[in-house]
Amino acid sequence: MMRVFTMEFQKIKRKGIFTTIAILLGVQCLWGLWSFGRMSGEKLAQGWFQCLYHFPILNAIMMPVVIAVLVSRLCDVEHKGQTFKLLETIIPAETLFHAKYLCGVIHVTAIALLQVFMILAFGVIKGFGGPIPWDKILFYLISTIGVHVTILLLQQVLSLHFANQMVPLTVGLLGSLAGLFTMFLPKGVGKLLIWGYYGVMMRVGLNWDPSTRISDFYYVPVDWLGVFLLAFMFAGIYVYGRRSFARKEW
Amino acid sequence: MTDIITTNALCKKYGEAMSVKDLDLKVPRGVVYGFLGPNGAGKSTTMKMILGLAKPTSGTITVFGKEMNQRNRLTILKEAGSLIESPSYYAHLTGRENLKIISTLKGVEEEEIDRVLKIVRLENQKDKKAGQYSLGMKQRLGLAGALLGNPKLLILDEPTNGLDPAGIQEMRELIRALPKAFGMTVMVSSHLLNEIEQMADHIGVISKGELVFQDRLKVLHDKSKSSLAVRTLDNGTAKGVFERHGIMCREEGAFLLLPELTDQELSAHIFHLFHETIGVVRVEERKKTLEEIFIELTGTAVSL
Repeated sequence: MMRVFTMEFQKIKRKGIFTTIAILLGVQCLWGLWSFGRMSGEKLAQGWFQCLYHFPILNAIMMPVVIAVLVSRLCDVEHKGQTFKLLETIIPAETLFHAKYLCGVIHVTAIALLQVFMILAFGVIKGFGGPIPWDKILFYLISTIGVHVTILLLQQVLSLHFANQMVPLTVGLLGSLAGLFTMFLPKGVGKLLIWGYYGVMMRVGLNWDPSTRISDFYYVPVDWLGVFLLAFMFAGIYVYGRRSFARKEW
Repeated sequence: MTDIITTNALCKKYGEAMSVKDLDLKVPRGVVYGFLGPNGAGKSTTMKMILGLAKPTSGTITVFGKEMNQRNRLTILKEAGSLIESPSYYAHLTGRENLKIISTLKGVEEEEIDRVLKIVRLENQKDKKAGQYSLGMKQRLGLAGALLGNPKLLILDEPTNGLDPAGIQEMRELIRALPKAFGMTVMVSSHLLNEIEQMADHIGVISKGELVFQDRLKVLHDKSKSSLAVRTLDNGTAKGVFERHGIMCREEGAFLLLPELTDQELSAHIFHLFHETIGVVRVEERKKTLEEIFIELTGTAVSL
């Protein structure tokens, strides 16, 4: 398994995946610098809330597309090179499926970790009010990785199934729009789509008073039903995806 | 001679269509086995089933004396290399990097890469991206990948497809040399008769999913019994003369076709014709070409 896994990184050499990740994080960093740079002390006092509220929205907008691109790169090298019929005479299909998935997981976990470091860096440099809410940030990190890896799994199943990568990329793009849209609808709607879980997992709510035009953030409890539903979706996609790939004839 | 691959009543059905029907293959050790058949005859499907890339509908496959199933498939195939249909490669990686991936997955020493590159004569192109290779070079890269780990069995599906004449010649020589040089058994498929004729020692002919011939190539050559064609100035009378002496013949164009005769018999019969003052103007030996035999076997003219 380890050999197969390391070879996945060899295969995506020169495919520009690190550039894609760097651009994503760069855009998020620029947004942060622009956003926090013009905030007054009063707003900065709610800096941690701001981050835990806005970064899930950024994730919902950007990550489904980034994940679709990442997975399509990982799988398209095999479709284009017609290498499945070679690889499956050397290694089990399941091993290939897992190695590819693990490679994707490493990438999205790295993105989530770097994003959290970015949030912490913003907090320390700009002097957000109050102590660092470690428990909320840890939950944010774990839940974000959870949503990333579930979307990643779905995209991998699609990218392995369709030789034409336009199909999974379109799904990723539509997922991104749908995920963002569900954030502005009741939470129950977001639970129907895996892309909506960036919103479902948010630990921060927003009260906006239209008369005073003042927004006030507050913490919300963990949506455990959402957590279980996400885990259930993950398990379903995994069982179906692994089996269908292993049964595929080349 | 033991058989490296045997299949027993192997069948593959796609929907309602039977792609392979009750196939009993026997590929002997240490030979080049030519698997010949028209396009769509079931060659690739059979090879894919042997490699576990397609699941047989029924029947069994035995490789290296072990009956294959989903559990032991990869263990058995550790000693096999393959090239199915078009070559498999990562276009954005160099030839060497491509082979590095395969050698790592196969658990083969890295030194092996240089050895196989040398065999397929790609050592000077190893640092070029595979996407920039010509089709012939891609095929040779595919063959190099199949040769990694010095397998005992090579399964090559139409390895000369799309190559130019020089590339075909080169690939053919390479395949021909493998059993002697490395003790390998090579199963190679093609829809081109002359190609298989120049490469193979043993041959299996598949038509519409059924094996219609399987033996040494020599046996097939022996099947092409020769006949004699005689042209005289009066074929009608000559036919009567032959028949009076117990030789059944038939007219075909300007010739009389006689069965195979010894030199003495032929000389005696020509003497009879002289005796009847029938002028003999041509005597030709006619042999059925392999192509004609194949058409007989497969019932298809195709591109054999």
